[in-house]
Amino acid sequence: MTQSVYLDNAATTPIRPEVLEAMMPYLTADKFGNPSSAHTHGRAAKAGVEGARRQVATALGCDAREVIFTSGGTECDNLAILGGAFAARAAGRPFRVAVTSTDHKAMLAAAHAVEHLGGEAIVLPVDRQGAADLEAVDAALAKGIGVLGTMWVNNETGVIQDVAALGARCAAAGTPFHVDAVQALGKIQCRMGDTTATFLAVSGHKIGGPKGIGALVVKNREALESLLHGGGQQWGIRPGTENVPGIVGLGRAAELAVAEVGTTSAHVASLRDELERCLRERIPDLVVNGADAVRAPHVSNVTIPGTDSSTLLMHLDLDGIACSAASACSTGAAEPSHVLIAMGLAHDLAASSLRFSFGKQNTKADVAWVVEILPEAVSRARQVAGALGR
Amino acid sequence: MTTGRRVDGSTGGRVLVAMSGGVDSSVAAALLVEQGYEVIGATMRLFCYSDKDVADRPCCSMDSIADAAAVAAKLGIPHYTLNLADRFGRDVIGDFVAEYSRGRTPIPCVRCNSFTKFRDLLTHADALACDYIATGHYAIARDGALFRGRDPGKDQSYFLWGIDRQVIARMLTPVGEQTKPETRAAARNLGLITADKAESVEICFVPDGDYVKILEENLPSDAPALAPGPVVTTSGRMVGEHEGFARYTIGQRRRLPALGEPMYVVSIQPETRSVVVGTADELFGHRVELDELNWLATPLGVGDTCQVQIRYRSKAVPARVSTISGASLTLDLSEPARAITPGQSGVLYDGERVLGGGLIA
Repeated sequence: MTQSVYLDNAATTPIRPEVLEAMMPYLTADKFGNPSSAHTHGRAAKAGVEGARRQVATALGCDAREVIFTSGGTECDNLAILGGAFAARAAGRPFRVAVTSTDHKAMLAAAHAVEHLGGEAIVLPVDRQGAADLEAVDAALAKGIGVLGTMWVNNETGVIQDVAALGARCAAAGTPFHVDAVQALGKIQCRMGDTTATFLAVSGHKIGGPKGIGALVVKNREALESLLHGGGQQWGIRPGTENVPGIVGLGRAAELAVAEVGTTSAHVASLRDELERCLRERIPDLVVNGADAVRAPHVSNVTIPGTDSSTLLMHLDLDGIACSAASACSTGAAEPSHVLIAMGLAHDLAASSLRFSFGKQNTKADVAWVVEILPEAVSRARQVAGALGR
Repeated sequence: MTTGRRVDGSTGGRVLVAMSGGVDSSVAAALLVEQGYEVIGATMRLFCYSDKDVADRPCCSMDSIADAAAVAAKLGIPHYTLNLADRFGRDVIGDFVAEYSRGRTPIPCVRCNSFTKFRDLLTHADALACDYIATGHYAIARDGALFRGRDPGKDQSYFLWGIDRQVIARMLTPVGEQTKPETRAAARNLGLITADKAESVEICFVPDGDYVKILEENLPSDAPALAPGPVVTTSGRMVGEHEGFARYTIGQRRRLPALGEPMYVVSIQPETRSVVVGTADELFGHRVELDELNWLATPLGVGDTCQVQIRYRSKAVPARVSTISGASLTLDLSEPARAITPGQSGVLYDGERVLGGGLIA
């Protein structure tokens, strides 16, 4: 009997019932209005948006006026990096950005876009455990940086970046600092004040909220130039009619995530540790990536030599197990993880890695099923790899 | 996971279907689901795809992977993308380039079937514990033997002579029993988005049919195959110059007004870089020599008769085996054949049945 085990919570999560319940009136009932409208419906929607803004602010420990809703993590990173770079250029500061080599593609691509626009992008190297090279950070800051970005928790490995150390260096250099906290929220203590960040990004669908909604905390509006131009909503930083149900969903999801962070992290940590212990036992040459780093509790990234990720994923999927290789890819034929390669893994090892990511709904039975199925999938994948000379 | 289970819960076995994103393999998958198989769809990623859909090779873009995935979703079957680009690059594109460099005219689809679809993909099927492997080919595998497809205008058995004989028993060819219009009608009835997709007629990895560009990309700039050389007649007289023998194939008409009558390429001699031209009569031959023989039936012996087809779009002609040596064989044809071209396939038939084949020497 095939079970259905979802261990791809770092890719996305189902909407929590409490969140859906909060959103429903804003989709269909009397609160469907445009928040900019002066009438009853508009006021109801506006109240929902502003309530959610306060929920997010409380969750992240910042001022409500600092919370700017966006379409999600990718837009947040683009707004912070590109918008930060444009503001720097306009202020006569360097049109140059720095990001970490293990960052999400949204961050790296935004940095490359700065390059295409005539600026400069510095990609900061990391060590084998995924920690940013602080000497390289210092060198970049000494050269002059418009905005420096990094991920608090890496989406592929769970490795926690030392944002306090990076933030202190940026603060000392007077450089705006952007933290992508999409994978941090609800998994580790995640307060604006712990980072000295200028910008901080979160996303709804990683924490039981809906897709297509995120928020960028903007501590210093002078350090940001908006990328969209329109009707002046959200102080003109991110105009456009607000995604009201999404915003309301994000507000509730963020509130729940922070309230439950202690229990959630303990729960997923115990499942992750159990999985890693059992898999190491069953597959002796399996390597846990970032094992010696400080990691967020919900992600386990493993390399299984002599296999390839896509074959493993196919076999696991047929046995009802959903996980991923690198991050989710639009075609299904993923390239090896740039994160693992940045951490020094050889190409073939990076291409034989899997990411399991846990959520509050996972159970010990889920772990047991993976432990039962994976060794067989590994031997089949090795059979294919052997036959195809990989 | 939804699979094609029968009402009583049994299945006809597990089958991996190669889904290109075209109409034929889409319908193949649909028919197998209907027939009660547990169907898994797979699209092979074979080379670096361009992002935009090129009209005349609809099976080879990223969009085609998406089309295959959409069809699989509609049928309720799992679908995966298998990256076989490195293997395909070596076994098919590499061979394609090497063959042209030797003055031959290869058929990469034959190599792809022999090496990629019915070997590398089969490896995946084995690992997935699949009983069968299926494609959208217009050919019929039945009782361990391979036959021409029912639609004479679409028959693709010519391209399948090189696969391992043992694989035939595990091959399912659901569209081989029907005509192309029937396939399209089936696709429309099923509401498949690929129903009216254009036919792919080009070689999938050759954009716009410009195969010389592939050679230029894969060969050094001073490669003899792309360097100027003499055009000579069959009697050895030099009558012109060409821009690289790889640009030619046997049977092509060559404009040489000085010689008075139409002249055709009759052979390519890479050692002297010569393109040899002759009259229309000189294009015909009575003997075909095949190498790299592969049998899909009991091997023929000297003196046995069969029919041999030397081009995809030519008629099979009666022939008798005159010599056999290892993996090579010579056939005497009962009537002369035009443009017997090294590198093309010579496929041996007994009526509708494919007996085997080889590469024309």
